[in-house]
Amino acid sequence: MNGPRMLAVDLMGETIRALNGSMVAYEGQMQFKRQGMTGGEGLMGAVRRRVAGESVTLMEITGQGTVYLAHEATEVNLVPLQGDTLLVESESLLALDGQLRTGVQFTGLRGVTTGQGLATTKVEGHGTVAILSDGPAIALEVVQGQPLSVDPQAYVAHRGQLQQDFVTDVNWRTMLGQGSGESFQLRFSGHGLVYIQPAERGDGLGAEV
Amino acid sequence: MPGYSPVNSKLLQVPVGPGQEVYSKRGAMLAYTGAVRFAPTTTAGAGIGGAVRQRMAGESTPLMHVTGQGSVMFGHHGLHVEVVDLQGDTLYVEADRLLVYDASLQSGTMFLGEQGGLSGVVRGQMTGQGLFTTTLTGHGSCALLSHGGVVQLPVQPGRAVYVDPQAYVAHRGQIQNKLHTALGLRDLIGRGSGEGFQLELTGQGVVYVQASERKL
Repeated sequence: MNGPRMLAVDLMGETIRALNGSMVAYEGQMQFKRQGMTGGEGLMGAVRRRVAGESVTLMEITGQGTVYLAHEATEVNLVPLQGDTLLVESESLLALDGQLRTGVQFTGLRGVTTGQGLATTKVEGHGTVAILSDGPAIALEVVQGQPLSVDPQAYVAHRGQLQQDFVTDVNWRTMLGQGSGESFQLRFSGHGLVYIQPAERGDGLGAEV
Repeated sequence: MPGYSPVNSKLLQVPVGPGQEVYSKRGAMLAYTGAVRFAPTTTAGAGIGGAVRQRMAGESTPLMHVTGQGSVMFGHHGLHVEVVDLQGDTLYVEADRLLVYDASLQSGTMFLGEQGGLSGVVRGQMTGQGLFTTTLTGHGSCALLSHGGVVQLPVQPGRAVYVDPQAYVAHRGQIQNKLHTALGLRDLIGRGSGEGFQLELTGQGVVYVQASERKL
């Protein structure tokens, strides 16, 4: 890490995957290769991704030296995975270790109304994932019997044994355009961690200057 | 001489007094105390010839001359501010990234062709930096604007640093830079990694890189 907004990765010949175009500087010998259509997920993975609209363009970085990654001055959070699964919005993914596998997880109804598509990206395996948040992300713990509701636009990622469902609080006031602006929430129940950011995605992740 | 003191990462307090005058980006003053005057300037201490050169070079950002006695706070668009102290060396920076600098510093305009000839010109065009860049020389302080803050990467002989042109902010020291292309077949068919061009910086010095691909 190199400040909260820039990620420095030391490479000794291994491979990482990172968001296309997120390199800001490097030292040493580096090669950048955009991943093919399949992104290491096979043909079915590519088809699923296309259908789900959860398209994320990653590139492979290989080499010897240090590479610095950043995206639109959003903050970088490192999440270590030990064989468990992280579900993250594709637009919040900055970089991940080469050994990690990615896939698409369908989430059902909620994506349609929150504008995030029908599916979310799944990362699993052993290694470190760097996720982006507009402002510092916090991890909220969810325990059995105490469900957590979050604003879909502030949601970044979650891990653990969590079920998510969609809560609506739409009443006649909302219909009249007098709603509180908090009509939809994501409710997580079970056991795990939910990462949220202190900003609501209005039009993409980019922080306005 | 009391120096620039950051109030927070985006707000800078600058003392002004006799012999301590500064030039700043026009309109970047947020607050001040004391008897401070702001005069628009087009020459910014570079003389008429310098102003003409700047205008021709497209490196002219409206500046104002801040004089008097007091203390001024500067900020611009919520961008991060980085203070750079110069001790007789030269800082190369894009004009629109300069928030404020001491009047004791000599500003100038450098044609990129002076550094690398034709390839310098090509580099300026390709990276959207234009054909010219601004130089500051002497003893004093200046403040740079960046989106998301900057990191300083040292450049040493035998240890080249490659920077995304959009994330490049400034550099100082004896540094040669040239355009480095890593274009492959994939880029030609529109499937590139988005990292086709980099600035290759070699020599001895420091390069300032911001945490974003956004130009100002």
